[in-house]
Order: sequence, then structure tokens, then C-alpha cells
Amino acid sequence: MPSSISSSELTPETHEARGRSAADLSAVAPPFEHRYKRQTAADRPGVAQPVPVRPVPEQPWGAILLGVVALLTLLIGGWEWYWRAYGVRPSIGNTLGLWSIQRRRIDAGEGSATVLVGASRLYFDLQLPVWERLDGKRPIQLSFEGTSPLTAVEDLAADPKFTGRLIIGVAPDVFFSGFEFHAGAARYAHRESPSQRVGQWLSMHFIEPLLAFEDPDYALATVLQRQPWPKRPGKMWFTNVRKLSDTEADRNTHLWSKLESDPQYREMARNIWRQDFQPTDEDPSPEEALKTATEQIDRMSKAVAKLRAHGVKVLFVRPPSTGEYLAYENRQFPRTRTWDALLAVTGAPGIHFEDYPQLQGYYLPEWSHMTRAEAERFTAALYGIISREFWRPNPPAAAHTADASP
Amino acid sequence: MVFNSLTFVVFFACVLGVHSLPLPWTTKKINLLIASYLFYSAWNPPFVILLWVSTVIDWYAAQGLVKARRATARHAWMMLSVIANLGMLGYFKYGQFLLDNFTALMGALGIAYHPAHYDIVLPVGISFYTFATMSYTLDVYLRRAAPARNLLDYALFVTFFPHLVAGPIMRPTELVPQFAKPRRASAEQLRFGLMLMTLGLFNKIVLADSFLARAAERVYDGNSMPGTLDAWAGTLAFSAQIFCDFAGYSTTAIGAALCLGFAMPDNFRFSYAAVGFSDFWRRWHITLSSWLRDYLYIPLGGNRHGARRTYVALMVTMLLGGLWHGANWTFVAWGGLHGLYLAVERVVRARFVNYRPGPIVFVLLGLLTYTLVNITWVFFRAKTFGKAWLVLRGMFGQNSAARPILSTFYLASVAAIVGCLVLTHWLMRARTLESVVARVPALAMCLVWALMAFAIIIAQGTGSAFIYFQF
Repeated sequence: MPSSISSSELTPETHEARGRSAADLSAVAPPFEHRYKRQTAADRPGVAQPVPVRPVPEQPWGAILLGVVALLTLLIGGWEWYWRAYGVRPSIGNTLGLWSIQRRRIDAGEGSATVLVGASRLYFDLQLPVWERLDGKRPIQLSFEGTSPLTAVEDLAADPKFTGRLIIGVAPDVFFSGFEFHAGAARYAHRESPSQRVGQWLSMHFIEPLLAFEDPDYALATVLQRQPWPKRPGKMWFTNVRKLSDTEADRNTHLWSKLESDPQYREMARNIWRQDFQPTDEDPSPEEALKTATEQIDRMSKAVAKLRAHGVKVLFVRPPSTGEYLAYENRQFPRTRTWDALLAVTGAPGIHFEDYPQLQGYYLPEWSHMTRAEAERFTAALYGIISREFWRPNPPAAAHTADASP
Repeated sequence: MVFNSLTFVVFFACVLGVHSLPLPWTTKKINLLIASYLFYSAWNPPFVILLWVSTVIDWYAAQGLVKARRATARHAWMMLSVIANLGMLGYFKYGQFLLDNFTALMGALGIAYHPAHYDIVLPVGISFYTFATMSYTLDVYLRRAAPARNLLDYALFVTFFPHLVAGPIMRPTELVPQFAKPRRASAEQLRFGLMLMTLGLFNKIVLADSFLARAAERVYDGNSMPGTLDAWAGTLAFSAQIFCDFAGYSTTAIGAALCLGFAMPDNFRFSYAAVGFSDFWRRWHITLSSWLRDYLYIPLGGNRHGARRTYVALMVTMLLGGLWHGANWTFVAWGGLHGLYLAVERVVRARFVNYRPGPIVFVLLGLLTYTLVNITWVFFRAKTFGKAWLVLRGMFGQNSAARPILSTFYLASVAAIVGCLVLTHWLMRARTLESVVARVPALAMCLVWALMAFAIIIAQGTGSAFIYFQF
């Protein structure tokens, strides 16, 4: 369907002006076309442009509109039914706008809160209700899947209003490569327009809680793109990560139950990870990878120093991974060169799941994230370690009066 | 706010509701003015001040023009308007560009100049509304139009939200008279207006954003060297993207105005069926090209002072037209190429005055025009000349070491959309959308409209800005 809405042919008036009669013109185009022909500013050089004419085509527009509404309702209903039958349920979109709402809490009186920032593991594996039950306060979740926390940490370091506690999740392949799937979240939060804020509010209150298909994984182009298209010779085939989680309004997020209940979907998710485990020509050389990791650690070290300067308590956490994913991480990002170096350079404390038996033995269906029930168990275990070894729990009346961090 | 956002859906529903209330016409106009300021301030509230400044300066300049008795006084009032508007545009849009070029020039002369950081946010749509307000004082200066009868009508002309941020660039004589007496859309206008809005948003959200933009980004924003197929696919994708994006915006704007009972001019006329470059500019961004023609090319002498002066006027107009699109030399190169094309066409036409092409040659000339237009898009899309050369080399088979960039899905979707788009433009080049819509059976119309609306919803657009907002 085109979106230009006018013809470039000259009107009868112009033809007459150029010496052709209207009769000549009628032999060229039927009168029906003339009814909708019109000049534009392109046809009238150097003169005042008149009020435009915009005729409405003759159609039973009332009946058409009714038909459109009925048909559209049926189509949307069918699309919604299809995805619900696939197992999808409505959840809140994990957008930059949603992240911004949580980020703004820090500047709106919750600067002393516990803030979580990391990639998908800290995001899916740490359950806010469990933490709240144990701590008395619900943390602010600022993690983003597939996204290095470095930029967010730097943003918090530049914010004097943040004086609370910061847990930084470390997923080695994301953290030490500096990869950012959701780049620019902090910048977006600071520059979000009133229109974007209103749009976010409308969407998370009136659209997302109702429609299951409102998820990027089921957007038209994404669905079409993952059909079995013929492979182009020489072009590496790479399947994008599929839907893995469900998010709530305060960004409490958990692994999608389909990964537990559907072996096929689980295997597909594992195969998608496996793509990363295979070396490609586009991978950085070991020297380049080490250089990048060092840069990330150095930047993080500066940010941590700034945070500590204004009283923030920082703790790194390496959540569990298993199976082929863990083997890949150990191969590409050996602990000594990454995790140990990070703690040494930043001087901040850290919890590595391999160092604590209570953080091991969880079920991670696709080797990278825990099921919801396991995440709840993990959160309780992690909180226990933190409150026992690093930070004293908040007394009910006067929080943050003491600190036992090493 | 952008048209392709939930915020706009709610905003527009409220505006339609309020506009249909049985209120005095002046009250309705005040409501529209307030709504338009809300529409603009939804991006960045402080920038409404710029809109006010532009409005007030041109209002008083036009008043001064009418009252002035001496030619020098008239000239002075006109210059006040031009300098104020271009000054504002220059500061916000070209400040960084000028500073960068000055620094580079100093560097070339061996002077290490380190200017202070120039952190200015470009007010959205500033290029559009400054041109609209300038056309007001210029039309009064050129005695083509009388000034608006009251400030309310004039302020509403400048601010009317459907055209405010990305055109069509309205002339005062097109819109101000529409505010003179009460207007309310008929039921048919409202429904057809909604259909136009659906069509415009389908172009933007589904075709431009969901399919074409991604293919263009992979070729133009990635680090890989494109081969012939990828370079052409990326460029064709962008040529279709910018059409669907911008013509989509114009169509949505025209539909929104029609829903309120106002008529706005056409901005595109099946541009990719143009035969020749003068024809292209009669079909592409008509309100800008006619603005540049009326307020720049003709005052520069147009074709009234011999061939040499004509070519100079043509090149100056197209170079400045290119710069209007963005503060980057690549845009100037884009405008310069179009200026060159127009000049060459002028020479060829003068030489073959009596030549009338047959149908096959006509189509071939059209395809040649389309191909050459696509080459100009490379400079428009590439962020640097280096990238532009890389893509151009690819298009002409010079990147032998290139590896495939676009997957079969992208190649197929670009081929399908570009093919349909160009074919549609050729089929409709002598028609109007209205004439085609009037002939379509009602059932088919219903089906097409519903499918477009459905595609918009399931495409799940992210509310990305229209390309022309940055201009």
C-alpha cells in the first residue's frame, strides 16, 4: 500500500493554461480520476499557496469502520489465543522505561536502599519478595539481561544521592567482555521525555497485564525472521536468544516456566547458548579479550572507589552456572584472570558460588538461570551468607547503622 | 510525542473528544493551541519557549512590515525575522558543526584550538517550524499574503500539532484561513482520516521500523565491508525506509488534521516513479522543495538571468537544502549530487527539446532516475564519507574481500517491500490515493485496513522517532 497521496499529473486548469483544451485532456484521463486530482505547491511556483483541498473518496465508511473493528478484534483475539496456547502469559515488558522507574527511586528518597545490578543471572536468580521477607526491605533491581553492569555502576557512582548497598552480579562472558544488549539505560533514564514516561505508564497498566503476545519475542518481524529461511552461503547462521523470563512491575523477574516444563524449548535454549561456545572468526583474539577484561576491571575499580567514597557498600556476586555453560566460562574467562583479578583490583568483597556449598547444586534448566523455586531458595541462601559474613541485617528502626564488611 | 506511541493515541482521543464538544470556535482554537503546546512539550518542556520566541518575533515582524512605509523599514523587519529564525536554527542545529569545522581549520593552520564542550540538545522539529514561521513574514514581505487577523490564529498556524515537528511545511495562506470560521470533521472525514493515519503508521511501524531499518543498519552501522548484494540491499532498504518513514509521517499528519476537519497539503507523490530529477523533486518532500524554490531559488534569480546564474542558483539551493537535513558534510554532498543531477538534466533537456520517449525508454529513464537517487541516499545514510565510499565501492563490485552481511530473511524482505513499493508508485504515478480508494470494493477496503491495523499492533513498535525529527 503506498503512502503518497497525490498524483503528479497536471490538473485541467494547468493544461488549459498551457494551451491544451479540456476536451483533449478528457481523452487522456476519465472524469472519475479528475474528481480526486489536485495541484500541489510543486505546481504553483512563486505564488501564495491556497488552502489545500482534500476530498474523501466515496465509500460506505461507517460500515467499513465497523467491519474493521470487528475483524481487528477477531485477529487480535486469534493472535492472543495462539500465544497463550504456546504457554505465554501476560507479563510486564522489560523496557528501558521500566528500568528508569526503578532508577529514579534512588533519587526520590530511596538512596539508602540495597541495589542489585548485573546481567540476567542476578536478575532472574535473585527474588525480591524473598529478600524483602528476610531483610524487611525490597531491593531495587537494576540488572539487565545480556548487559554488563559497568555503565549502570558508573552512573550510580556519579550520583551522590546513592548511599546504600550495591550488589554487583558477575556473569563472566558479559561482565568481562563489556557486552551491552541494553545499552544506554542510564542515559535513557536521565533523558526520558514526559511522553515516554506516560507511554510506559499506560503500557504497563493497560496493555502488558492483558496481552500475552506483547513481548518482543512475538513481534511480527521477529517471528518471521526465525522461520526456516534458506541459509545464505557464507553467512553465519545465528539464532537470537528466545524468551527466557517473566517480569513484574517492580522488575522482579524469574525464569519462564516453559523452560522447566517443555524439554524441546529447554533444548532449544541450550542450543542457542551453544552457538556462543563455538569459536568464530569474529571472536577477539585472547590478547584482545584480556585487554578488554582488564579495561572493564579498571573502569569498575574507579567506579567502586567513587561509590565507597560516598559511603556505598559494594559486594560482587558470581551466581551459579552449570553444564556446558560453566565449562565455556571456565575456558574463556578463567577465574584467576577475571574474578580474582576483579576483587584484587577493586578491593571489594565478593561471593563466588564455587566457594559456598549452600550456593551450589541448584537446577538450572539451560545451564545459566535457575527455576523460580530454585531462585527463591538461592536468594535465601545468598542473603544468609551476606548477612552473616558481609553486611549486618537492617534493624527494624534504624537501618544501616553498622557495617561488618571486610 | 511521536505519532507511533501510546501517549499519542490517548492524547489524540482526548483532543478529538474536546474538539467535538459544543464550544465556541475561539475556545476550540485555544484548546487546539494548548494541545499543540502539550504535544511539543511532551519531548522537552523548556523548548516550548523557543516556539514562543519564533512565534512572537514573526508575528511582530509581520505587523511591522504592514505598518512600514519605507522600503528599507520593510526590509529591516523581514531581515529581523530571517536573522532571528536562522540564528536560532544555527545555534541549536549547526553550532557544533561550525565549531568542529573551525577547530579543524585552525588545526590545519597549525593552531591548536580547544573550544569548550558544546553540549546543546537539538530541539525537535526546529527546522520545520522555523521554515513555517519564516514563510509567514516572507509572504507578507513579498506581498503574497496579508498578515493573520489575530495572534491566536497565527500561533495556531505555527503550532498546530499535526504539522509542527516534521511537516508538511505549511504556508500561512494554506492554514490560517482555515481557522477563520468553525470547522469540524464530518463523519466521513473522520473515518477517512483514521484510515490515513492507519496507512501512515503502517508505513512507519511495520515497513520502515520492523523490516527496512534493520537491514539498512546492518550494512551502514556495522563494521563489515559490504559486497555488491549487501551494499545494494542496504541502500535500497534505506531508500524505502526513508520513504515509508517520512511519507508515513506526512500521511499520519494529514489524517490527524482531517479528523479535526482541517486540510493539509500533499508532501509526497509516488516519488520512486519519478522520471528525471526535476520530476523527483516535484514528488519528494514537496513542501520543502517548493519552499526552497519560492524563498531561495527564485530570490537568487532562478532561471531569469541566464544559464550560468541559473546553475549557480540551483547548486546553492540544493547544497543548502542538503545542509538543512543535517549538520554534516555528507548531507551537503547529498544535496550537491542532486544539484548536479538537476543541472545535467537541464542541459540534456535543452539539447533534446523535442524528444518524447516511448513507453520502454520512459520506464528505463525512470529506473535510471531511481538508481541515481539511490546513490545519493548513500551519502544521506552514511555517517561519514569513509563509510559512504565503502558502501559505494561495494555497490560497484569493488569490495572483493567482502563477506555476506544480510541473512536470506533480510534480503527477501527488502526485495519484497522495495519491489512492491516501486511497482505501486509506477502503477499510481498518474493517480491519487483517493481515486484508487474510491474504486476498491468496500469489503477489500475493510480487509486491507484491518490487516494494516493488525500488523501495526503485532509489530510492537518501540516508539522510535521518525527519521526527519532529527532535521
